[in-house]
Amino acid sequence: MPTVEIDQITKTFGSQRAVDQVSFEVEKGEIFGLLGPNGAGKTTTIRILLDIFKPDSGRVSVLGGPMSEEKKDRIGYLPEERGLYQDITLDRCLTYLASLKGMSTQEASRRINLYLERFGLAEHRHKKLKEMSKGMQQKAQLIATLVHEPVLVIIDEPFNALDPVNTQMVKDLLREQRERGVTIVMCTHQMHQVEELCDRLVLIDRGKSVLYGSLEEIRHRFAVQDVLVRTEDHLPALAGVLRSEPHNGSTRLYLAPGTQPQDVLRGLVESNIQVDQFEIATPSLDEIFIKVVQQGEGAKA
Amino acid sequence: MSKLWKVFKYEYTRHVFRKRFIFAVLSIPLFFGVLMAISILATVIQADTRPLGYVDQSGVLANQRPISGEGSLINRSVELIPYPGEAEARAALEDETIQGYYLLPPDYLETAHGKLVSFKEPDQRMQNQFNEILRVNLLAGQSPDVAKRVLEGSSLVIQTPDGKRQMAEDDWFNALIPIFAGVLFMTVVFTSGGYLMQAVVEEKENRTMEIIVTSVSADELMAGKVLGNLSVGLTQLLIWVIFIILAMAIGRNYVDWIDRIHFSWDYLILMLGALLPTFVMIAGLMAAVGATVTESREAQQISGIFSLPVMIPYWFTYPIMSNPSGPLAVGLSFFPLTSPVTLTLRAAFTPIPAWQLALNIAVLVVCAIGSIWLAARAFRLGMLSYGKKITLRELFGRVS
Repeated sequence: MPTVEIDQITKTFGSQRAVDQVSFEVEKGEIFGLLGPNGAGKTTTIRILLDIFKPDSGRVSVLGGPMSEEKKDRIGYLPEERGLYQDITLDRCLTYLASLKGMSTQEASRRINLYLERFGLAEHRHKKLKEMSKGMQQKAQLIATLVHEPVLVIIDEPFNALDPVNTQMVKDLLREQRERGVTIVMCTHQMHQVEELCDRLVLIDRGKSVLYGSLEEIRHRFAVQDVLVRTEDHLPALAGVLRSEPHNGSTRLYLAPGTQPQDVLRGLVESNIQVDQFEIATPSLDEIFIKVVQQGEGAKA
Repeated sequence: MSKLWKVFKYEYTRHVFRKRFIFAVLSIPLFFGVLMAISILATVIQADTRPLGYVDQSGVLANQRPISGEGSLINRSVELIPYPGEAEARAALEDETIQGYYLLPPDYLETAHGKLVSFKEPDQRMQNQFNEILRVNLLAGQSPDVAKRVLEGSSLVIQTPDGKRQMAEDDWFNALIPIFAGVLFMTVVFTSGGYLMQAVVEEKENRTMEIIVTSVSADELMAGKVLGNLSVGLTQLLIWVIFIILAMAIGRNYVDWIDRIHFSWDYLILMLGALLPTFVMIAGLMAAVGATVTESREAQQISGIFSLPVMIPYWFTYPIMSNPSGPLAVGLSFFPLTSPVTLTLRAAFTPIPAWQLALNIAVLVVCAIGSIWLAARAFRLGMLSYGKKITLRELFGRVS
């Protein structure tokens, strides 16, 4: 049984349809990417999932049924609009938020200690939040999201305001959570993070779901017949190659319809070219994203 | 422990253990304490304690009877020195051994005309002291009972037919109690309402709202906040009441009218009946404002709209006191925001008809429920619209 099932949800604000017939499922123990350009309807989808908003139509099932107060204790949420109580100490803020997730004070305090050590915030525990840097607050917020050991974690743009060292730490943390069997829904527009972390994804554009499936499947679907060749030699004209252009120190060869990459490789070998690298040019998620979004805009125009 | 109590505990402790709160609570009694100390000190320092002289040519004070009581720190008595003739008294006044002298001429008993000679009029209390001695001695021939009654003067007590409420002529302080109690209560209502408003708007300002509503139900959150912040107000009230009781206990040793202050249970019950729904109504309105706007500064400005009508009856204190059942007083007690203060003022001077009272309180209770409904609605609509105000149309329109 999937951890999250979103079935044909629609939500309209005034005259604007923020989410339009969106459906997807999130399986237990996977990192699921919820992608889309700014204003696509990602945050609204998450808020419907969390029962902050009611959908106009459609059905949502979380942890095997509709959202309940009891289930809230098993969910960790890092909203895009970050914020913690600014006027109290880090320690007190985290303890209060953990207690609202049903933890006892002792247990909350024990686990908060572990996380503060791990995130390098132990010495700042008695500081007020407003005295801390943005990056520190971001880490504090992550602790608030994970401290009660949720089985479902929903994080909106988790890498905002983090430097490369902390970005890596958060990635490790998310992978570690996945290994523990935690289901993670990650909302982002940073495609390289999705490529690194996500198992499956849904792409939302203008409120509609435009792409849905596993990362491999999607890449395969958008695979093109281009190849990348790196060589010190000058490339001759090859049969079946329409044109070529430089690409990150290599050369990208655009193949004519019907031409297979093997045909090009054979041609290179026959021409006695010394090939350092030969690779089928799978599109990056960035490229797929732009392509799908532009197609959508074209269709609309 | 349910989450409601966790929210309650958090909201309560974050205010009560803050320096700002402790300062705010203590500053009022401290202010009055210092004010009282300064005025006592000023009286003591400024008081002229030189003796008063008298020249008794009428023989009234020949066998002087003393007056009872030694006088207190504030009501100090001065020494009275008899002089055989006006020339001696005049000399003493000029070399400043006395501050003035009374002259009772030989025909004083017939004319009742005496005079006081001084460069600067002696303090009223010292004049009273001489007057009292004079009266005591004038009544020396009367039976003690008659003398006592004459000395005490008349005291009329105005009483309602059921005898539950009464007012004596010299009971001016009992008339001030409802005004004072009303101001105190309203201060507490607005302080705790202000805390509540701040608590709601703060969660929007610092973006904590989304985390909170995915941890606690909106009802538990709101109930916890309302109870927590109202308890802060009640704590404040309690501390002030303790200070007042302490001040009265200490003050009765110096000021005799404190003993004559009386509270009627009817009045206390009426205050609670009217003021508790007011408490909830203002809290609801404050929370609604907090949920509607985006900044605490803006919220404070808007909340002024509620505090103004609540205080309006104080501008009409005199007309309400002089005609507590008149159209103005009755009209103001039906309008929910002016009702609580008007009711407490009227009740101090007249019995309010039961049907009016029931209707007034019913209006307040309905308004309290309405304001909580409005607060919950504003909260649902406004909690996630950061940086965007809710319009009145949205607030009263259909829930999306």
